[in-house]
Amino acid sequence: MTSEAPPVTGLALQVKDLRVSYGSKRAVDGVSLDINEGEIFGLLGPNGAGKTSTLSAIEGLLKPTSGSILVRQVDVRANPGLAKALIGVQLQSTSFQSELKNSEIVKLYAGLYGVPLTKPAIFDRLTEIHLGDEASRRFSQLSGGQQKRLSLLIATVHDPPLVLLDEPTSGLDPQARRQLWDRIEGIRKSGRSILLTTHSMEEAQSVCDRVAIMDHGKILTVDTPAGLIEKHKNDPNVLAVARGQVTLEDVFIGLTGRDLRE
Amino acid sequence: MSEPSAVRTPSVLPPLRAPALTEVFRALLEADFTVQLRNNRALLLSFALPLVVLFALFASKFYSALGDRQFKVASALTLGMASIAILGYAMTVARDREKGVFQRLRVTPAPTWTIMSSRLLVQVAAIMAMAVLVLVAADLFEGVSLIAEAYLLTFICVIFSSALFLGVGQALAGLIKSADTLNAVGRIAYLPLFALGLFAHSTIFGTTFELISRWSPGGTVETLLTGAMNPSSWNSDTWLALAASAAYSVVFAGIGIRWFQWGAR
Repeated sequence: MTSEAPPVTGLALQVKDLRVSYGSKRAVDGVSLDINEGEIFGLLGPNGAGKTSTLSAIEGLLKPTSGSILVRQVDVRANPGLAKALIGVQLQSTSFQSELKNSEIVKLYAGLYGVPLTKPAIFDRLTEIHLGDEASRRFSQLSGGQQKRLSLLIATVHDPPLVLLDEPTSGLDPQARRQLWDRIEGIRKSGRSILLTTHSMEEAQSVCDRVAIMDHGKILTVDTPAGLIEKHKNDPNVLAVARGQVTLEDVFIGLTGRDLRE
Repeated sequence: MSEPSAVRTPSVLPPLRAPALTEVFRALLEADFTVQLRNNRALLLSFALPLVVLFALFASKFYSALGDRQFKVASALTLGMASIAILGYAMTVARDREKGVFQRLRVTPAPTWTIMSSRLLVQVAAIMAMAVLVLVAADLFEGVSLIAEAYLLTFICVIFSSALFLGVGQALAGLIKSADTLNAVGRIAYLPLFALGLFAHSTIFGTTFELISRWSPGGTVETLLTGAMNPSSWNSDTWLALAASAAYSVVFAGIGIRWFQWGAR
């Protein structure tokens, strides 16, 4: 088993025919997707569509029933240590040991990726996200927006080529959400690829280069946000829910239905 | 206030390698030791409670029928181990699982066994520190002084016995998902585990009760530690207690590993 990553090929992530089941319930049913280097890819879907399960399989939290996942050509199942070193993760709800200070949390996670950070280096990184004054406080003492910023810093503390963000802006006010979008855009500008899940059509349109709409464990369609609207603007199901000019939300509801999901 | 730069320009090349185990362990151990030292409840359970019980056992004549002086020290050590493992370790594991701390750690390159091993090592260190404190207090305040070989043997047996109680803690964390439920069950389980063993060397409640007590988890550990503190009295009962402790450790650890789940759901 190699501990060195192979050379870059242009694809940050390749998922092929991924299937994940919880007992008899199939949560992910044959998902395939490619994410290019430097691309922001959005996974849209109603609750229970299989977005988080897909992400969890890529992160190594769930064992897929079948299929393959390659991060920069590294097989996640065959070489999980190296694959995880290539990925930065922000979970939907993040929590850290409550006894640790924010600076100690950064140090812990940097250490887990083999990135030794000195105290000044940690302080610099916290200062870059305007949390320098919070270095000695606890994670629970931060506001929601500050917690998301720190979580994103920890997800990228080892400068990973691929960053996975599970509903990164949920629960944030508009200002904090815009700030986080800027940060996500900044990650891409530094050459990284991003796979994010979201319920926000606005977020998908503002941030993502390409978007996949998922439901019942399957990917229904993939394109740029504008491409999705163009592709589905004459779909009868989409037209049935559109109020005026067809939007991405109309496409989303047209493809996934009006029914409420738990 | 302007938004900070979206993300820092990487000053180092991406670490296109899996981190070494030493790097992972260093990071985990440093964090876990910090958590342990900042956890006031854990410190109280680890150090104050065994000392209180030690002094109480020596202070009252009521307890003279329980066993000899070494047995009382062994009982305080057993209580300390049970407290650290069941009310400390198991509770922390359940709480962190419920909060998602383990899931966050599991998406890093750290192998899952290192996450739990680091925590267990910190608990063993806490148990060793508690044992030093109790033995020093027993020597200074109660005059229970041991020969060097006895101290060495006692520490070895403390490490050995810690596996039993940490196994119980792991089993509880494996079988009970909710931190609140585990807190309640842990308190109930902890008392008989310790209290039952108190009568391992006493027939004040009859020989049947003494037999049950002697072969309870707490009783086997107390017999083992009493033997370790007085090596000349080490006999077949001590060997049997050693074997029983090992068996309990395997069973409880097996349950804990088999049914343990990293996530709360």
